[in-house]
Amino acid sequence: MAAIAGITYLSDTRVEVDVDVVERLNRELRRLNDEGVTEVVMRNPRSRHNLAVGQGAGLKIVFDGSCGYYCGGLNNGAVIEVARNVGWGTGEAMASGSISVGGSAALGTGAGMRGGLIHVKGDCGPRTGAAMKGGTLIVEGSVGYLAGFMTHAGDLIVLGNAGEALGDSLWEGRIYVAGEIRGLGNDANVVEPDDDDSARVHALLRAQGIDGEFPFKKIVAGQKLWYFDNRNPEAWLKI
Amino acid sequence: MCGIAGILYREPGPIGESLVRMCAAMRHRGSDSTGFALYGEPDPDRLIVRLRFPDATEWEKRVEDIMHSVFAAGGDVAVDHAVDRAQHAEDRFVRLEVRFGGTVRELVHAIEEPGHVEIQSIGHSLEIVKDLGDAEDVDARHGISAFRGTHGLGHVRLATESITAVAYGHPFWAEPFPDIAIAHNGQLTNYYKFRRLLEQQGYRFHTGNDSELIAVYLADKMEHGQTFYEALKDSVYELDGCFAYLLCTRDAIGSAKDRFAVKHLVVANVDGDLGMATEEQAIRAVFPQELDTIHPDPRSVFVWETNGQVLQEIV
Repeated sequence: MAAIAGITYLSDTRVEVDVDVVERLNRELRRLNDEGVTEVVMRNPRSRHNLAVGQGAGLKIVFDGSCGYYCGGLNNGAVIEVARNVGWGTGEAMASGSISVGGSAALGTGAGMRGGLIHVKGDCGPRTGAAMKGGTLIVEGSVGYLAGFMTHAGDLIVLGNAGEALGDSLWEGRIYVAGEIRGLGNDANVVEPDDDDSARVHALLRAQGIDGEFPFKKIVAGQKLWYFDNRNPEAWLKI
Repeated sequence: MCGIAGILYREPGPIGESLVRMCAAMRHRGSDSTGFALYGEPDPDRLIVRLRFPDATEWEKRVEDIMHSVFAAGGDVAVDHAVDRAQHAEDRFVRLEVRFGGTVRELVHAIEEPGHVEIQSIGHSLEIVKDLGDAEDVDARHGISAFRGTHGLGHVRLATESITAVAYGHPFWAEPFPDIAIAHNGQLTNYYKFRRLLEQQGYRFHTGNDSELIAVYLADKMEHGQTFYEALKDSVYELDGCFAYLLCTRDAIGSAKDRFAVKHLVVANVDGDLGMATEEQAIRAVFPQELDTIHPDPRSVFVWETNGQVLQEIV
């Protein structure tokens, strides 16, 4: 029955995969989804790259360990759960669906994501949410250098601290940080979130089972870099 | 691309086999050449010399000529030469062990006197072996897997900044400093500036590869009284570019990352044994279990010593 070795049918809708068989795996996951499988348990991911890339709605994919780079990239509706850590570019350019990470994530989590949700329970490295164009990225721990860089849209919500150059060259993305901010990037300003904002962010957190009131600071663009101002060229030269 | 790997065992262990596995797991990052810097049992009374003859014509006679030249300079051969098979029939890789009372610079001069030869490394403990092809090719030709020791480096190369050639592969030896080697992933933009400064002090560079600079630059700082840790910290701001590199001495591995954190580095401490690599999956080729890993921050410097001490700072 299995098209590639290492796949075990637990039932008609639940499948277990030994991730050591990484070749053609993403294509095979899409085929299983088309066949009506709704949950795949991925054993032994061994920090391999490009796992569960380009998967569609209707499929839940659970990894029982750590994944490598680009896990869940280009996600198009799948629900992905990683028990432990992930490498660079998790959920890169995803459109919809969700990715939940039990441990920490390396650089560029959610870079260029357009929609959906990423929830990291640990910390994230540099460039978290860089060039996000939509969606929600929740980090329960801290984020590294240059988080929210050039973020166009969407919400980056950080319960821990933020590193240097937070929100550098920000567009219309919204960044919320509950902890300390080590340094702001070019044209990033801290404002107090209004009540609607705060209610909306706390609702997003509650939907992920995170209760409590967090004293968020909101980071938005100063809009000085949005249009060239020939009276203030120095602002541009800093970029 | 390119990939770097480092391993440091509490007790002497199978560093060759481990580094081959790590480099094989990163084959997709480059297989133009693969190289290893291996640290075996140090012996202060002899130096291990790794040579390559790019043109194998009469190579046996040339080994004899080198030995005569070393004798003439006051040295002695401790262990007769051994030869590895090479990727190209015209290449010959030769390993010698010599006793030499003079400086390493004088030994280099004596070895080079008879004619064209590349010195891959000289050290009391260090042996650098690098050749074209992927990790398994290089292991099959040079017997890397059999090598035991305390620590070492591996490098898989995708040649971007300079040509595909054995001499341009990593790791690089920091001539003329015994037992110092580097594996680097990245590009330096101010490499020529430092190279000229060091050449004015009498150092020599054999390739156009920017990574060769880093090894000599750091070794020179240590020669002038800085500690390994201090030299690494200086490099974060003095070297311009994007880099993550591992530098080995006889008793430590150090790492430094640039200000922008563009290059990957993952480190895992597994009950006191350390694995470090560009990709976590390379570390898990040696330590397959789930690992707690460190991803060094931008501007961070680490020194892991063979005695278990760790120094770290974000500069």
